[in-house]
Amino acid sequence: MNAAEVVNTLLVQRFGVAAVDVTDETPLRSLKMDSLALEELRVLIEEQLDIDLEEVSLTSRDTVGRLVAAVDGKVAA
Amino acid sequence: MTARRTPFAAAVTGLGMVTAAGVGTKATWHAVTQNSAPTGVRHQEELADLPCDFMYTAADLDATALLGVATQRLMDRFSQLAVIAAREAVADAGLGPDVWERDRVAVVIGSAHGGLPFYDQQHVAMSGRGARRVSPKLAPLTVINSAASSVSMDLGAQGPSLGVATACSSGTVALGTAHQLLRAGVCDVAIAGGAESVLSRLLIASACQMKAVSTRRENPAAACRPFDAERDGFVVGEGAGLLVMERPEHAAARGATVHARIRGYGSSSDAYAAVAPDPDGNGIERALRTALDDADVAPSEVGHVNAHGTSTVVNDLIEATMLRRVLGEHPLVTSTKAMTGHTLGAAGGIETALTVLALEQQLVPPTANLDVPDPQIPIGIVRQEARPATFDYAVKTSLGFGGHNAALVLSRA
Repeated sequence: MNAAEVVNTLLVQRFGVAAVDVTDETPLRSLKMDSLALEELRVLIEEQLDIDLEEVSLTSRDTVGRLVAAVDGKVAA
Repeated sequence: MTARRTPFAAAVTGLGMVTAAGVGTKATWHAVTQNSAPTGVRHQEELADLPCDFMYTAADLDATALLGVATQRLMDRFSQLAVIAAREAVADAGLGPDVWERDRVAVVIGSAHGGLPFYDQQHVAMSGRGARRVSPKLAPLTVINSAASSVSMDLGAQGPSLGVATACSSGTVALGTAHQLLRAGVCDVAIAGGAESVLSRLLIASACQMKAVSTRRENPAAACRPFDAERDGFVVGEGAGLLVMERPEHAAARGATVHARIRGYGSSSDAYAAVAPDPDGNGIERALRTALDDADVAPSEVGHVNAHGTSTVVNDLIEATMLRRVLGEHPLVTSTKAMTGHTLGAAGGIETALTVLALEQQLVPPTANLDVPDPQIPIGIVRQEARPATFDYAVKTSLGFGGHNAALVLSRA
């Protein structure tokens, strides 16, 4: 599974986001992903992909696309 | 010295329950009054190989379907049960976010252990996979007040809200606290009761070590048998029982249907031992006498008692002896725990809801599994089948580890 698939699947399955609402341009806050949710998501992504996102800053103003790009950067690295 | 005051008869206008006997008030009441044996108790995978590997659970409940993932992820199971029961209670009362003055609605929910299962899971994550695999949600999900805050958020109730923790009397103390908040005029409506769900291998392992729980592994459905000669301990259950209580004039002004009233409350502390109750039952006696005084009800007027009746050798004997001493032989005493399990901090909420229904329907549920009454128990206990009766007042008693005693006096609407 690539980064986009992992992020999208987690948003839908673990955070109850509707799949149709998720696009690259969607700000995370419009999916009701607040700071607590983002920290929870960080742990889930790290676990699933066995990567370290500690240095990636995440805010609810970011878009899904930016989050996926950050994860991709870590996967590639 | 007791300060005598005019009794305050809070109106109970809504009931909500999720128990191992049934999901919803109607299903629970039907099972408790009509079924002869529990169906909600079974062996649990999480408890495999423990000396007590069974528990009462609300296995029919689909919490995800009712709450949705986005809401459910912010609650451990005890809070989920509370929210589901609260929605039912508020709908039953004909109240809700569109109807009430939201800053006049209080939420008071008791729980003994709160989000212990999530705590347990996260401890496993940390031990096995390290600190970086621990969820950031530990504090908000595990605190005892999480059921109260979850209900407040779910229903938009913006008055005072709090969790109450007095072990197995938490639900009853929560209702008593709500009674006092209503009486003091700090709210018009209170959503109150208890919620608990501790399917936690850690806690049950410890309860086994304490020798407080039944080890009747070969027949879990017969294990909880309050007041029976063969009883050997309690059986843990999960559940939630919540009441909507209102200031009487608030209920009257909106023409609400009143199921029954909570008219008196008393609480006390044994100041005796960490687990064992005062052997003479003096603490629970003081709580009950205080509640009767508060309600201005004479012992002879009490027609029904929903007892704590846990099915431990010691509790049932002490409690029954105290009931005989304070109330006499006449009340119809029952324990509904053989149908629901001992739901710890939820017990007072569930059992007070059942007491409300007993008053409303003038029907006392039987004590399931009471086959051979213990000859040392000095009162008759209702058993075998539900008993129709005429009574105006009823009592709910609860005792908690740590010596926290509580009693409520209820009256017909």
